[in-house]
Amino acid sequence: MYIESCEILTHEAITKTVYRIVVSSERLARECYPGQFLHVKVREAIDPLLRRPLSVHRVIPKKNTIELLYRVVGHGTRLMSGLKSGELLNVMGPLGNGFDLETPFDHAVIVAGGMGGAPVFFLIDTLLDMGKQVTLIWGVGDGKEIFGIETFKARGVDVQIATEDGTVGKKGLVTDLLIPFLAKEKNNSTLCGFVCGPECMLSSVQKLAGKTSFPWQASLEERMACGIGVCRGCGVQLRNADMKMVCDDGPVFNLKEIYFEA
Amino acid sequence: MKPDLSVIIGSLNLKNPVMTASGTFGYGLEYADYFDPAMLGGIITKTVTLEPRAGNRMPRIAETPAGMLNSIGLANVGVESFLESKLPELENLKTAVIANIAGNTVEEYCLLLQKIANHPRVDAIEVNVSCPNVEQGGLAFGADASVIEEIMHCMRPETDKPLIVKLTPNVTDIQSIAAAAESAGADALSLINTVLGMGVDIQTRKPLLARITGGLSGPAIKPIALAKVYQAAQAVSIPIIGLGGIMTGEDAVEFLIAGASAVQVGTLNFIQPDGALQVISGIEKYCIDHGIERIQDLVGTLAEA
Ligand SMILES: Cc1cc2nc3c(=O)[nH]c(=O)nc-3n(C[C@H](O)[C@H](O)[C@H](O)COP(=O)(O)OP(=O)(O)OC[C@H]3O[C@@H](n4cnc5c(N)ncnc54)[C@H](O)[C@@H]3O)c2cc1C
Ligand SMILES: Cc1cc2nc3c(=O)[nH]c(=O)nc-3n(C[C@H](O)[C@H](O)[C@H](O)COP(=O)(O)O)c2cc1C
Ligand code: FES
Repeated sequence: MYIESCEILTHEAITKTVYRIVVSSERLARECYPGQFLHVKVREAIDPLLRRPLSVHRVIPKKNTIELLYRVVGHGTRLMSGLKSGELLNVMGPLGNGFDLETPFDHAVIVAGGMGGAPVFFLIDTLLDMGKQVTLIWGVGDGKEIFGIETFKARGVDVQIATEDGTVGKKGLVTDLLIPFLAKEKNNSTLCGFVCGPECMLSSVQKLAGKTSFPWQASLEERMACGIGVCRGCGVQLRNADMKMVCDDGPVFNLKEIYFEA
Repeated sequence: MKPDLSVIIGSLNLKNPVMTASGTFGYGLEYADYFDPAMLGGIITKTVTLEPRAGNRMPRIAETPAGMLNSIGLANVGVESFLESKLPELENLKTAVIANIAGNTVEEYCLLLQKIANHPRVDAIEVNVSCPNVEQGGLAFGADASVIEEIMHCMRPETDKPLIVKLTPNVTDIQSIAAAAESAGADALSLINTVLGMGVDIQTRKPLLARITGGLSGPAIKPIALAKVYQAAQAVSIPIIGLGGIMTGEDAVEFLIAGASAVQVGTLNFIQPDGALQVISGIEKYCIDHGIERIQDLVGTLAEA
């Protein structure tokens, strides 16, 4: 069984719309892998009907805790934000393939946009444990959504921030930081790129990635029902015309193989 | 005492009346990590077509109050791969396997039937004449009694295995269509397939589905499904398999009382992977609580208002 009702330990607002929820599960703490997601039933009712996919934001193995970071964007996440510590959260998972960290590389360049920052924390924690060098390029609209970077910096991560409101880091988009980075590093074969964020950002990073000689992994989002490849609802088109399911074949794909309409 | 949950659909003996609906349970083993599918009355595999299909453009699922819209478009591996790689995996599965097929023409339905009917692992065939998400056939077929008759006349001589015709609710007169399927030789009817539906994102003014309209499923359609099952049960004497929005044993019992001999669960599988087992135990509990010894005694027992 991969369904579990986990006790909510803490649930806090990071900004007006972004929440972090910490749940307890020994099994999930053991089994989750960076880039995987949990399929969350926000309450036991027929509305909202379907589960909601949320990336594993962080795992603290010593405490047997799993963290999710989410933005309130609609009915399901709004209801979720009302859950209190001590209540139970029903989750299916871990689901999806996760990032491929077996592939040979020494230096990870991670590009995150908006809520794409959620899975990145678990990824960085794991990469640092593996002894990899990490560059994080993180862009958000509102500078208040940038948090937790001081500990990464203290652990040697090269953190570069872009905000649309210009309150933290560089005013602009992640690509404004990625372009100068790649000008120096595009033929560095010890690198591996990781991208998480909205489709428009993935598509512009793909154009830049096409000119690099190292591999790129992208985590995709699509509306989901089953979360395990059964309903065939969450397809992604590849450039070779194949269709893959984000939940089951992904959510992590080779960025260079994805077909974007825009 | 444990009630007898077994049911008979044509020549098919099911250990209990709960099956998993086509398109919501893959090819039979996708949920095996969550529970043993042998505990089901039967499984109905994803619709297969002559050629593999990738399906429609994204987004092709969306949520609406107590329901979901889909415009998957019969994405499937195609009949050849179904025969070669999917059915053999079910060889030792101790429950009924019902293969669901759909064609674009009457001839395609026949060809599909010829290909699968003799396979030893196919215990029955569910004929999907009702998918709202494909250009040709599908809905148009299911809405036209004479086309259903034509398909049945062509298929019936090809097999002795039970032929179950799956009907669409998107018609004005379900009774004449049900009666046509019965007289053309159907052993049973499944109803309902999804209800034609739509949703709009008012911020972007875009439809929720790229195809604009799609099929609504889940609890939102249960009252519609019950009415169709009840009406069809009045018009035919072959068994009816009821589905549409079943989430609990109580929901399933409503269908049985309204005239269904068995039920299927669809959308529930996505939300609660072992939901079908809870439906089975809910039915069993109802029988125990109400002193019903054989589930078949409950079928079509709607009391007067
Ligand atoms: C693998 C995966 C991991 C994800 N991880 C996170 C995460 O860590 N943190 C986070 O905040 N969000 C994440 N998302 C997005 C999250 O699932 C949606 O924001 C959520 O389902 C919205 O639910 P709702 O009921 O609040 O919104 P709804 O009322 O259903 O919709 C509101 C808006 O959200 C959009 N939306 C709905 N579902 C999705 C979806 N599955 N993907 C993208 N957009 C969607 C809709 O298009 C609509 O504009 C992830 C999505 C996927 C597929
Ligand atoms: C995502 C999805 C895919 C479906 N695919 C098929 C299919 O391939 N063939 C078919 O006959 N019905 C298909 N259906 C319809 C279901 O089998 C069922 O008739 C319908 O969903 C109503 O039942 P429910 O409310 O329990 O889901 C599909 C339904 C959904 C939600
Ligand atoms: S959500 Fe069902 S196939 Fe991906």
